[in-house]
Amino acid sequence: MLKWAGRIAIAVYSILVFIPLILAMNRMIQIAGANPFIWFDSLGLYQLSEGAIAFTFVQAIISTIATLLIATPIAWQLGRYSWRGKPLMRAILTMPFVMPAIVAAMGILAFVGPNGFGYRSNESTHFWTLIIAHAWFNMALVIRFTEPVLSTLNRNLEDQLKLLPSGKSALGRFRILWLPLLTPSLAAAACMTFVFSFTSFALVRWLTPLENSLETVMASIGSSAGIEGYSEYSNDLVLASSMIQFSVLLMSLWLMSWLQDKRQSKLPRADEESAQTKNTKGLFILLPGLLFALTPMIIVALASIRIVSRDGVEWSFVAWGKAWNGDYSNTGVWEAMLNSLGYASITLMVALPLGILLALYIKELENTGSKYARIVDLLTLLPFAISSVMIGLGVILGIIIIDPVELKEWWILPALPHIMLTTPFVVRIILAALRGLDPAYDENARVLGLSTIERMKKIHFPLMKGPIFIAGIFTLAMSMGEFGASWVVTRFGQWDTLPVLIDQLRSRPGWDPLIQPTAAAAATVLMGITLVLFLIAERFRTTDQEGMF
Amino acid sequence: MNKIMMICIILFSAILPGCIEDTKDENIEITIVTYDVSGLSDSMLSDFQNNTGYRVNLVKLDDAGSILDHILQSKGSQTADLALGLDNTYLQIALDSGVLIDHAAKLYNIEQSSLEFYNGSKAVPFDKGWICLNYDAEFVDGENLTIPTSLWNLTGDDWKGKVAIPSPMTSSPGRAFMVATTDYFDNDEDNTTDWTDWWSAMNDNDIIITSGWSEAYETHYTGGYGELTDGYIGDANIALSYCHSPGVEAHYGEGWTKSAALDIDRSSFLQIEYISVLEGANVEAASAFIEYLVSGEINQNMPTENFMYSVLENNDLPIENEYRANSLIPQVCAEVSSQDIAVNMEDWLTMWNAALSQG
Repeated sequence: MLKWAGRIAIAVYSILVFIPLILAMNRMIQIAGANPFIWFDSLGLYQLSEGAIAFTFVQAIISTIATLLIATPIAWQLGRYSWRGKPLMRAILTMPFVMPAIVAAMGILAFVGPNGFGYRSNESTHFWTLIIAHAWFNMALVIRFTEPVLSTLNRNLEDQLKLLPSGKSALGRFRILWLPLLTPSLAAAACMTFVFSFTSFALVRWLTPLENSLETVMASIGSSAGIEGYSEYSNDLVLASSMIQFSVLLMSLWLMSWLQDKRQSKLPRADEESAQTKNTKGLFILLPGLLFALTPMIIVALASIRIVSRDGVEWSFVAWGKAWNGDYSNTGVWEAMLNSLGYASITLMVALPLGILLALYIKELENTGSKYARIVDLLTLLPFAISSVMIGLGVILGIIIIDPVELKEWWILPALPHIMLTTPFVVRIILAALRGLDPAYDENARVLGLSTIERMKKIHFPLMKGPIFIAGIFTLAMSMGEFGASWVVTRFGQWDTLPVLIDQLRSRPGWDPLIQPTAAAAATVLMGITLVLFLIAERFRTTDQEGMF
Repeated sequence: MNKIMMICIILFSAILPGCIEDTKDENIEITIVTYDVSGLSDSMLSDFQNNTGYRVNLVKLDDAGSILDHILQSKGSQTADLALGLDNTYLQIALDSGVLIDHAAKLYNIEQSSLEFYNGSKAVPFDKGWICLNYDAEFVDGENLTIPTSLWNLTGDDWKGKVAIPSPMTSSPGRAFMVATTDYFDNDEDNTTDWTDWWSAMNDNDIIITSGWSEAYETHYTGGYGELTDGYIGDANIALSYCHSPGVEAHYGEGWTKSAALDIDRSSFLQIEYISVLEGANVEAASAFIEYLVSGEINQNMPTENFMYSVLENNDLPIENEYRANSLIPQVCAEVSSQDIAVNMEDWLTMWNAALSQG
């Protein structure tokens, strides 16, 4: 039964994710030809792709290193010691990950720009601003991957090690105990940070406007791909960029999947209470960490009431009224919020059951020792290896080819990229939780003769309520903040979402000094909703729950 | 947990109907694919609906290029009734592709100069503006720096890394300016160099090429409103914009601006934006919208609503706040036919890329 449900889930997932992409690729290849060498050559021919490959790799690698350096001490303090208000701390520290990049860019620009600390005019700071922004964005990954390992390691193990000659020094204990223990988690977090930095679009576009990355190349000319006899070079550029991106990211994801699997089987566990003690000195790391996470968001909120004009700076809530009434847009904030929640609900209704079924199927394959377990696992990760611009193009060039007139009326269409992008997160959360379940429950139930459905009903689902709820909340939050693919597909939607509204406002000529604060007001609403969702999710989380989120 | 679940279910049930179109509505809806034309306010669309009964659905894209991409991708099965915002550097491609059809709008009072590029029944001009270089008059004050009188001036050391121009690959003003440079160097006195040599020289002089107009004007240009914004870098004292951009600056600056338009013969380009009916459209409803858009009541507001000139006769920029006084009408702008643009554009872009890669 589960086997068949799993196979159907894989079929549905493949249709949703891969058919549009294959159709889009096919259309582009028909125009560009099937010679990949010509595609790759094109990257060196155009001004807009100049230096894109080198910049993409360099910034992704340095972003990954910076993220590990910044986030690991924070994860250590959060995981090893007990803190009052820990769920709130964890929500704040992990929330940046689901913030739309455009909101992050607004906060960071306000910090470094002429109305902030004024670093912006020095172009040598742009690259490092991007690196810090990526660290801000991705530190949640390091925390979520490593905190469960840190929080559940039996403290006695470290105490015993102190008695041994090689464990007397902190460095020795780090080398013998912590390094081997944390390496798989840190490496898995590093892989995912690399993936997200590699595909970063809005932050690169806004923070390093003089640089090109593979993602900005695709975003710049993606809309003209797939048209015969017009801007045909764009097909070469999109194909080359996406092929490089796909190959590199696939390797990263395979490595992450392998590391997660490896980590799973080797962790020594203890309950959280016995593993954690108090450490007031740790506040010197946690508080700056919290400040780091909150600063861009607080600045965005402040920017919504700060009106900068030739006459100076004025503080007023007038932009909130403009945002609410939609004075500078066709949709007001309230309407856009309802639209966002609507699409997020559709996404939830599809992505959550689909992700749960896929996770159950992968776990079943793992239990039976099937060699297909890793392949299916990797399959569910593939949307991370595909640029959101490509996912958007897949919907446009692929699905629209099928029947555009009918599909124009298909209200679910703009939710499709949300489903494609959030389902892998559901799989990650549920699969990690399934792997953490004590196999004895399942084995005993089998011995007692319970069927697969009965085991799911009486064992899996009751034990998995928390992770399912977290996955649901996370899906809602991700969908609310999704922008890249929606930006491409929104042309077929009739309802502007909050991130699309923010982008529309941010893109308008800013002669009127109220435009920017109005965009910041809309962004603040989005941040508020996300924070509430994350705080709800934290209520259902236990510290030993592993996975991406 | 059950309570929260219930709240979520109730919340979602309440929200979902908002997402699902009310198919029982008897009103006819027209879909307009456009860029973020700020002139189309909610109240204006409501007025149109009240007057005609037609509802309007706006699909907003990036710019004129995105509109062309969209309608060409949907060739044979358009998802919209009207394309609003194609300019005269893109129009001919759309005409040649056969995606535009005849409108049935009754038009009055459109000035002749706006019809010179195209005067058929498949596109109607609705606004216009001259694209040209703007300079920071506080920086180019005649003492530290003299006002450039030739495009070659910009290849000198004084202007190294101080000129920002959007890429013709990704921006319609950038594309229009590239077209202008082909005409400028075809008509200059020097027969030993052509327009690609100038772009190569500019590349050697560290020209700042941006992805769009806002990056050039808002992020890099020192003479405009960008210096008040958070993303401002401020490394360019000349940027490509519209000849009336200083007027818009003055309009919002209560008569004050430090930006000025650079009047060099044939270095500016008259951009005309059009509204066109798309194949498969409801022509009657679409034509009603065209009539509404170019009616005196609506079109005269273009300078303040969409920061562009009206296309109607006897209409000009407002004089309040020195808007008109700070807006330049170039003495001689580039003259390139829409047919030439359509035929040569792909080659020009290839040549432009080659020129920019030679540095």
